[in-house]
Amino acid sequence: MSDNNNVHISSYKEHFSTWAALILLTFMTVAVSVFGAELRTLSVATAMIIATVKATAVGYYFMHIKYDPKIYKWMMGTVLALFTFFMIMLTIDYLTR
Amino acid sequence: MDHTFHLPNSGHNFDAKSSKLGMWLFLYTELLLFGGLFLVYMVYRELNSEAFLLASFKLNVWMGTFNTVLLITSSMTIAMSITALQKGNKKLSVNLMWLTIIAALGFLVVKYFEWGAKFEHGLVPGMEHYDTLPMGERLYFYLYFFMTGLHGLHVIIGAIFILFVIRGVNKGTVTPERYSLSENAGLYWHLVDLVWIYLFPLFYLIH
Repeated sequence: MSDNNNVHISSYKEHFSTWAALILLTFMTVAVSVFGAELRTLSVATAMIIATVKATAVGYYFMHIKYDPKIYKWMMGTVLALFTFFMIMLTIDYLTR
Repeated sequence: MDHTFHLPNSGHNFDAKSSKLGMWLFLYTELLLFGGLFLVYMVYRELNSEAFLLASFKLNVWMGTFNTVLLITSSMTIAMSITALQKGNKKLSVNLMWLTIIAALGFLVVKYFEWGAKFEHGLVPGMEHYDTLPMGERLYFYLYFFMTGLHGLHVIIGAIFILFVIRGVNKGTVTPERYSLSENAGLYWHLVDLVWIYLFPLFYLIH
């Protein structure tokens, strides 16, 4: 929004902190997967939860959703709801065959 | 806001808000495109969990981890380049964008070696050895090549997009006051990162 002087500028520090958190979560996931391979410790659910935390950090800070108008949050919520709906319908379909 | 009527000017209409909204709408369709593929993966994994498990051990976790670090780091550099541009530091902004492109190239080089190894082992759909694999493993590698391939295409497009922004900054069409192109390239690049965040554990890590 170039016509707006009070636009929010993310700080370098915030981007760096986001990066550090993402790297930490990545190495945690890899460590559990590689060193716990025999135990099959990394379940699909755990991996997906960690991935979703990472994705949220990317969206929130890197993609600036945190500071943007609410419409972006609403639209993102709509897309995620749509995807969840597809996923539930597909699961019900497969489970009832 | 004045309400006088303006004739269309020399074609340099600029509307940062709409341009960003448009970019996001496009990204939502991208999310659903990859989302559909993830649903295909979900069903086939459920039906062939043992085969998917065996096949996943044939991927190189360390190459995947290295690429993950590259993408996360490049996501940071592109985000910082927008901050730099907004603060009026054009030179730093351009340098950070070059770093992002270097990371993108690094990602593709690693992918080249990864895929090369799969070709050597005959794990690519259509190869003789691939046809002898059990159904579940064939599905795994089919999805692996399709999804990482589509993602790789996005890496290439994202890097080209960033090149255009660099050109814009150098030509003076992308400025600290008109940074919307750089913002949109950044959003696209973060999407590339976002998709990889899910691809990496699903193909490399879940044992």
